[in-house]
Parts: sequence; C-alpha cells; structure tokens
Amino acid sequence: MNDRLAALASSAQSELEKAVTLDAVEALRVKFLGKKGELAAILGGMGKLAPEERKALGAAANTLKTELETKITAALTRVQDQALEAELKGPRLDVTLPGRGVKPGHRHPVSQTLEDICSTFARLGFVIEQGPEIELDWYNFEALNVPADHPARDMQDTFYVDGKQVGVTKPKAPGGDGVGEQVVLRTHTSPVQIRTMLAQKPPVRAVMPGRVYRKDSDQTHTPMFHQVEGLLVDEKVTFAELKGTLDAFARAFFGAKSKTRFRPSFFPFTEPSAEVDVSCVFCAGKGCRVCKQTGWLEVLGSGMVHPNVFRHAGYDPSKVTGFAFGMGVERLAMLRYGIDDLRTMFENDYRFVAQF
Amino acid sequence: MKLSLKWLNEYVKVDVSVDELARKLTMAGLEIEGIAKPGEGLKGVVVAQILASEKHPNADKLSVTKIDDGSGTPLQVVCGAKNYKVGDKIPLATVGSELPGGMKIGKARMRDVDSFGMLCSSKELGLTEESSGLLILDPSLKVGTPIAQALGLDDVIFEVNVTPNRSDALSHLGIAREVATLLGADLKKPSTKLSESSTAASSKIEIKIEDAERCWRYAARVIEGVTVKASPAWMQQRLGACGVRPINNLVDVGNYVMLEYGQPVHVFDLDRVGGGKIVVRTAKGGEKLKTLDEKDRVLDAQDLLICDEKVPMVLAGVMGGIDSGVTEKTTRILLEAATFQPATIRRSSKRHALHSESSHRFERGTDVSVIPEAIDRLAALIVEIAGGTVLQGRVDNYANKKEPRQVTLRTSRVGELLGVEVPAQECERILSSLGFVRAGDAPYAGSSISSGLRTAASASSTSTWIVPQARVDVSIEEDLIEEIARIRGFDAIPPALPRGLSALEPERPQLALERRMRSALAGQGFDEVVNYSFVAPADLAAFQAEQGAIAISNPLSVEQSVMRTTLFASLVPNIARSVRHQATGVRFYELGRSYRPHAGGGEGSKPVAQETLELAGALYGGSRSWTGSKDADFYDARAAVESVLSALHIEGVTFEVLDSPWYHPRASAVVKRGDVLLGTVGELHPRAMKRLDAPAGVYLFQLDVAKLLESAALVPQAAPLSKFPSVNRDLAVVVPVALSADQVRSVILEVGKPLVDDAIVFDVYEGKQVGEGKKNLAFALRYRSAERTLTDTEVTEAHTRIVAEVSKRLGAALRA
Repeated sequence: MNDRLAALASSAQSELEKAVTLDAVEALRVKFLGKKGELAAILGGMGKLAPEERKALGAAANTLKTELETKITAALTRVQDQALEAELKGPRLDVTLPGRGVKPGHRHPVSQTLEDICSTFARLGFVIEQGPEIELDWYNFEALNVPADHPARDMQDTFYVDGKQVGVTKPKAPGGDGVGEQVVLRTHTSPVQIRTMLAQKPPVRAVMPGRVYRKDSDQTHTPMFHQVEGLLVDEKVTFAELKGTLDAFARAFFGAKSKTRFRPSFFPFTEPSAEVDVSCVFCAGKGCRVCKQTGWLEVLGSGMVHPNVFRHAGYDPSKVTGFAFGMGVERLAMLRYGIDDLRTMFENDYRFVAQF
Repeated sequence: MKLSLKWLNEYVKVDVSVDELARKLTMAGLEIEGIAKPGEGLKGVVVAQILASEKHPNADKLSVTKIDDGSGTPLQVVCGAKNYKVGDKIPLATVGSELPGGMKIGKARMRDVDSFGMLCSSKELGLTEESSGLLILDPSLKVGTPIAQALGLDDVIFEVNVTPNRSDALSHLGIAREVATLLGADLKKPSTKLSESSTAASSKIEIKIEDAERCWRYAARVIEGVTVKASPAWMQQRLGACGVRPINNLVDVGNYVMLEYGQPVHVFDLDRVGGGKIVVRTAKGGEKLKTLDEKDRVLDAQDLLICDEKVPMVLAGVMGGIDSGVTEKTTRILLEAATFQPATIRRSSKRHALHSESSHRFERGTDVSVIPEAIDRLAALIVEIAGGTVLQGRVDNYANKKEPRQVTLRTSRVGELLGVEVPAQECERILSSLGFVRAGDAPYAGSSISSGLRTAASASSTSTWIVPQARVDVSIEEDLIEEIARIRGFDAIPPALPRGLSALEPERPQLALERRMRSALAGQGFDEVVNYSFVAPADLAAFQAEQGAIAISNPLSVEQSVMRTTLFASLVPNIARSVRHQATGVRFYELGRSYRPHAGGGEGSKPVAQETLELAGALYGGSRSWTGSKDADFYDARAAVESVLSALHIEGVTFEVLDSPWYHPRASAVVKRGDVLLGTVGELHPRAMKRLDAPAGVYLFQLDVAKLLESAALVPQAAPLSKFPSVNRDLAVVVPVALSADQVRSVILEVGKPLVDDAIVFDVYEGKQVGEGKKNLAFALRYRSAERTLTDTEVTEAHTRIVAEVSKRLGAALRA
C-alpha cells in the first residue's frame, strides 16, 4: 500500500508539472483526490488491513493528501500566472479610437460673457434684476430724462410697436403725455433701473442684463444685442465709488494689470457722465490695431444718476445719490474670444458655437 | 464737427503739441476721434514760376520748361499740360519728393530730354478728385514756399465728437473757450466792427414774429451794393477743410460765421423779399415750399416758416427756399440771425427727413445772447469780401426774452457727489473761466440746509452762478459739478470701493436653475445658440404661430419684422442652415423669450407684452462613430427633456400624447406635472418642415422656465438608504400595441406596493413572434423593503400577483 502511495505521489508530481491549463490541473485534482480518484481507490482497500497498519496508512494517506493539495494549489497559481502573462502579452487595443458617447455641448460666447459679467458684480454684492424687452416709451426714455424731441434720442435709433396691435389700449405710463405711452423695443436695459426703483426702497445694488434693440445694422452693429447695466443707490454714494467699482470690475474681468480711464461724456440719465476706457487687452496699452494705436478700449458708459431719474422713480434726490453704468456684452465677448466679426454671433453656425 | 487748428489759433494761443491738445480735449469731454494733417503728404512740393517754355524736340504733346524754384538755378522740367503761360506760378514736386498718390519723383529722361521734377495738377496733389492741367497758383505767392503753407494746408483738422448736450462746442469759438480754460490762456474774440451808412435798416425792412413760442428772437441787417462772386482762396480752403462745400461769397460767409460762432445765419436777396417784410409764423396745413434741394415740401402746422409779406421763403432753421436765396445778380441783401425753439426744429427736420448743419445746431439749442455779435460779424465779413454798405442798425425782434439761468452751487455738495473735496476757489476759477458769472452771494434756498442753521462758513461755500446762454445743457447744481469735475479731470478723483453691504441677499433661484439647465443640456451634447428675437412672419406661419404675433412698425427688413411667438421659428432655420453647411448631426438649444400680447398690457407696472422665458432645443441626425451611428429620434429629444428635469429634481412628470401644429402627431408629447404643462417634445411637423426647408428628422422640445422653477427642488432632501438587499425579477408581457408602457408600469407599481421599489422597461419588441397588433414589453422589477430582508417566498408571491393583475386588467399575456 505504501508503495502505491509513493507511486501516486511521484506520478502526481510529474503530471502536475506537465499541466499548463486550469482545466488540466482541475482534471488532475479529480484524478488524484476526487471521490473516485486514485487516493480514494487506495484508501478503499484499507478495510483488509490490520488496525495498526490501517492507522499508519491512514496517516500516510492524509499526509499525501495535504501534500497533493499544496501541489495542486501551486500548480493552479502557476498556470493562472502563466495564463495572465499570456493575456498581458496579447494584442493591444487601438487606443487611438475615440471614446464612446455624446460629446458635451458648448456655451454661446455672448451668454457665457454675460453670465461672467454678472457673477463678477455678484462678488461685489450686486443682485440681478430683469425686466420686459417690449417697453413703454416712458420707461425707456422719459423716465430716464430723455423727453420727446430731445436730440439724445438720435443716440439710439428705436424700433416701435403699434400699441393697439399689442392690445395696449389704456396704458398708464406715469408720464401720461401721450408720447410715453408709445411702445418700443427697449434700446437699453436702463428701463429696468426705473422698474427696480419703483418697486423697492433704497438702497439698491443691482445689475440688469438682457437683450436690447436698436434700428441699426452694419459691420459693427446688429439690430439686437446684449447689455449689462448696473445701479447702486444709497445715501452719499460718490463718483469715487463709481470709479472704484468699475476699476475693480476691469481688473477682475480683464486681468489684474488692467487700468481704467474715465472720460467726461454725455448720457441724459447721468450727471456727471463718463465713458470708461480699459487699457487694451491685446497690447497692454502700448497701442495696436485693435485699440487703433490709442492703448485704450472704450467698453463702458457710466455716471452719477441724474436727479430727474430719481424723481421719476419716486426717490428723493436730496436724500440719495447713486451711480449707474452699462456695457455691451458682444463687444466684451469679441475682445475676450478674439472674434472679429460681430455678425457671426447671431448666425449660429454650428462651427462657430462649437469653438467655445 | 471738424476743427481747424489754424482757425482755433486765431482765438486762443495753443502752446501745446497736437497730441497733447487732443488728449486734453478728450479728457475734458470733447472726444477727438481723428486727427488729419492734409499738408503732410506734400513735403518737397514748392511754389515755382515758369520762366520759359518750348516745344519738346521729340514729342508733340510735351513741352520743355525752365522753372524757378527759388534755389537760384533754373531747372529744366518736361511737362505735358497746356493750360499755363510763361510767368505763371505752379506747384513743383522737386526731385526726391513723394506725392500723395504714392508717385516718387526722381530725375527722369523723357524722350532724350532731362527733367528735374514735376509740375503738378490739383489732382496730383490730392486736393481734388478731378483736374485739368496744372494748378495755377496765386501770383502773389513767393517762389520756393512749401505748397502746404502756400495753400493753407499746413493745418491740423481734428474730428471732434460733440455729444448732443454740448451745442456750444459746435463752433470754433466755443471750442476755443474750452481750450482757453484748459490751457489757462486768454480768449480773443473776432472783430465785429462795422461802418454803417446813415440810412436806417429799419426803414427798409420790418420783422414780425407771429409765433414767439417757436421763434424767440429774429435779428436782421441790410447791406446794399454787394458783388456776388467766388470767395477768396483762404475762405474756400477753410470751409473745405471743415467739410463745407464753397458756393459763393455770400453763402460761404454765412457758413463761415456758423462754424465760427455756432449760430446758423441766412442771407436773403432783399429784392426777392416781398414788401421788405419778414414774417415768422407757423405753416398752414397743406402749404408748400420748394427747398434749396429742389424738393417740394408739403408743410403742416408743426412747421415754422420765414415768409415775406405773402409767401414762405424758408423752412425755419432747417433749409432755405429756392426762390428767395441769393443769385449772381443779387446786390441788396438781408442778413438773418435768429433763435428758434429746439423741439420745433427737430420735429420739422425729422418729419421732412432733412438734416442740415443749421438744423443740427438749432435742435440742440443755440445761444440767444450771441445774436447781435453774430450778425455784426456776418455783416463785417460780407463787406470785407463782397463789398457793399451796411445800413445803420440791427432790426432785432426779441419777442420771447430769455433770461440767463441762475444755478446755486454748494461746495459741500461737490465733495459729496464726487467723493473728493474741491476748494471753493478752484470751483470759482473753473466756472469763471468757462464764462459763468458769479451772481453775488445770493442765499441758498435749497431744502437740505435750513436758513436758521446756516453758518458763515456754509454761506461762504454757497455761490450762485449765471449760466452763459450758450450752455443750454447747464440748469442744475449737478451740471455745475460736472463742469468742475471734467475740467479738473476725472483722474483727479481717487477710486474707492463702495462701502460695505448691510446684508447679502440670496441668489435668485432662477440663476441656479438656468445654470443647471445649461449644464444638463451641455451633457446631452447641445450647443447653445442666440438668435434675434424677431423673425420673418413666414417662419411663424410655418408653425401656425403668426396669429397675434407682435409686429414691429418700422422693421429693418421683413425677415426681422415680428417678435417670435415660439423659439422654434429661430431654431429650425438654425438646423436647416447647419445641414446646408454639411453638418451631419446638430443639437442646438436657446434660452430666450417668446412674445405675445396679453390683456391689460402696459397698465401700471404690468409689462406691455407677455414675455415668456423658454428653454427650447432642436436636434437632427447624429455624428458618425465607429461605436455605431444613430440618427436622433423622439427618445433623444425626450432624453434631453429628462436630463433637464433630472437636473432640477422635478419628479412625477408624465408624457402624454399631444396634437399641435408644431409636431408630427404620431411622435409628440406634452410634458406635464399634475395639471401643470411644463412643455412639449416631438418630431417637427412634416408641413412645417417643408415650409422651412428643413431636413426630415428634426426633433424639438420646449420648456417653460417659470413653470420649471415652480416645480424644481433646487436643494433636494436626502432620504435614508435601505440596509437590506433587493431582489430583482423580470416580467415580460404581450400587450396590444396601443397600450403604453406607462399604463403597464403603473399597474405593476400599484399592485406591487409596497414591495416593488422600481420597474424599468428594458425591452420592447414587435414582430411575428408576438402576433399582429401586439408588442412585448419586458420590465426589470426591483423588490426591496426598508425594514427587512425579503424572503424568496414573499417575492414570488408578489410577483405572481402582479402577473395575474396585469393580465386581468390589461388583457396582457405573460410571455412564455
């Protein structure tokens, strides 16, 4: 019997060494250790033996079993390792093929710029206010100190809408002189200033983004564009704070080295009024084609709110002062993204939008 | 407005560089938009005299001339022109010079004769578009003088952007006033000295103002014995440099005085003024006048006219009539300088679409006080240039006397508004220099300082100023403060951040909503577009959405003439355009408004129109990929909607069939949450597709942002997770094709309550194996309890019950 055990040990050893697949190792386990395997067959003959012999043989068989199990496990590990090695050395994927699934879409440069302008001012505590685009003349002009027959109206060529066609039969524009009741497409977001002030008490600290319309269409003008206006009203607000606010905006938006320059100008709704230039983002103020060699880019209009505007909006100009500013979003987007032609903004060519 | 530096120098000594002057004016509010130096391209061109001229020995059309260029040695120059005689002075481009057209002048040999330079025409000098022959110069010019200097071209022309409030700066004197203040220099006024005859002008003419509301002042002078001819070269040159075309000496002097004083003036042929009488009145409805541009104007009661005793002669402030102007035969003239109500001139100018240098100034407001000076200057210049005798006296009808405004300034207010203290003396210096006059220490009557509290100090910092009548823009204290601020320079105000906030308001929820919607759609591969809010009526009609669309009364084109009632009228053309540009797959979305009339629009603070913020998308085709290329279909559009709803945590949404002219009736749905309509989704209706020239296979969706905001859970609340495992079982049923997956699913969820956690459709099959008119729906059911581990028995029992109920209620057969 011991001889048979020894023979089994030796054949198992050599056969396991030859096995190269998991299946082969598994088959050998069945062959040697299975219920009908060779070890079981040897042990099956033990009944004929004397008890002492049986005990000794049992111990020997158990030792062999343990030994075989160890060897089989080792063989398993070996063939698994070999299989893994073989698998690892197999043909590589074509990693140059693109990934699966939908490619993310893109933001329009105007809406992205508009959002960024608003969030920059949000950092200074400005909230966002919005208002109608189809507006009464009163909100768009008269309340902003632009009466009918004022030459300042030439600054903004206006689209009109027939009030009756819209169903405006009894508009109660606060002006009530007939002209203020005409219906226009707002030429700026400034009417939202009036609506905001009429709806709440000071202080006001708001930016007003949105679409505006002017009857103008050429290389550098589109009949619709976007503005962001800002309004800060409180007791004792100063022109110095207007400068500080826009200075801070310019640095946050155009870069920490940006400088601003305030030039006297005219807007009917502010007094004093200023155009704000920002040092050219392309040449850092040295002078280039974009800034027409001036080193400055005109990007903002601003000023101290005119007392007449406060009166129209129900605020007492002897109690509060404030500043307002406004900027064209397309212009900033063009500077920011290097877009040469304004009109491409609204052609919505898929190749255009996919760049941003 | 074009400003000549040479002209300006007559009134104020400019002792800074051109660039510095431009910078100072710009920084004071008179923006210099351009600087032209017309003489700059004429270096090397000098005044020369023709000493002799002979025919070229080898060329019939050429001459060989001897030229004196002032160097002492006569030059030989070959010339092709014939319009000169020996002794004429002409421009010579010397060897080495370069003409404005880019021609370089070198020593040349023309048909075997040497030529040292070129004799020039005015075209070659870039002075005129056309010319014939040499430019024959004034014989008094000195030989050798640079031509730019000789022709008065050694000037600098500034293009000044004058804002609509600053009509005072629409003249050389007005800007000179500004420059004098900025440079601290003196202002020299032109001479208005006249020698008058003993005959009184008032004996020849009479001025009657019938509408003093519209005509405030009308002054006239009479000159007899003038000779109409061309103006002298210096005046022609000066007008030309400022963009005004020279006509004859009388008209030119009128324009000259306008550019000098900013006061438009007019010259009548007195012999054509019926009865020697000027009547200023409003037009009668239907009255006619032929203006200088030879157009018949039909007038109405808004128009103001200058008439003689019978007929209209001039549309006041806008343009003269053709029958009363000066002609070559004119000898007796009536000069006009008047002030009109600005709004009247503006209305006439607008109504007749007639914009002139004159109306441009009048509608902005002119200086009523300058009338006597301006008309005297006009008379003096006419006598100087056209001869004649000025009759004695001005006939000045100042029918509507305008007193100068007085404005009070508190020095304290200057500091309050600007954020920087400006000493009272400096305020005073600036205002005085600009022509404001101190009215004495008039007590301040404002509301914020009570008279009882007024101390000596505050009284001394309060001053009242008489505003020059040229400054029509100054009427309140803030205007004075602006004058002080802009002359000191805005740079002198140190920037300061606004004082702190007392509270920080929460962000408007709509902003968070918009951000999430955008990023959800970006994740679905949608590119954002921004379209005009106005579209072509035909594009709305394609969607049967033109009813009630708000039309623009004065559109730029029919393509941009109505406000869109649906964003699809923009998006579908976007898709069609992309496909025409070879896009194989496009996904676009826009976040924008649609516009419709609504009841009570414009009343109180109610918006005029109903403006609805919509999120709308359109998709077509698909990008080709090695992983499989599939064109977009309904379920891609629905996926976009679902991604938005999911990003906003809007739950309990149903998709129900929809009939709409926008969509294909077989593939469209309304998106609802309870009774609230959130939006719609579906395939573009084939008829709309055809009308918009769009490709087949365009899918659309639109969502109402306000409705989404009402339903959104921007801060979703956490629910506890079950600690117990789930059991998954599949269920496949064969049902009639018309039965919706939702109908089956709702039975599953209802019957399976509370053990069925979810049921997902994972397969839909129609075909022979399930029979005609039937489909197989396969659901993956997930059983789960929050309280315990489910036993196999209870899951099996529940599953069996669900199968039985689905079969019973929906006539479904369990798939074998």
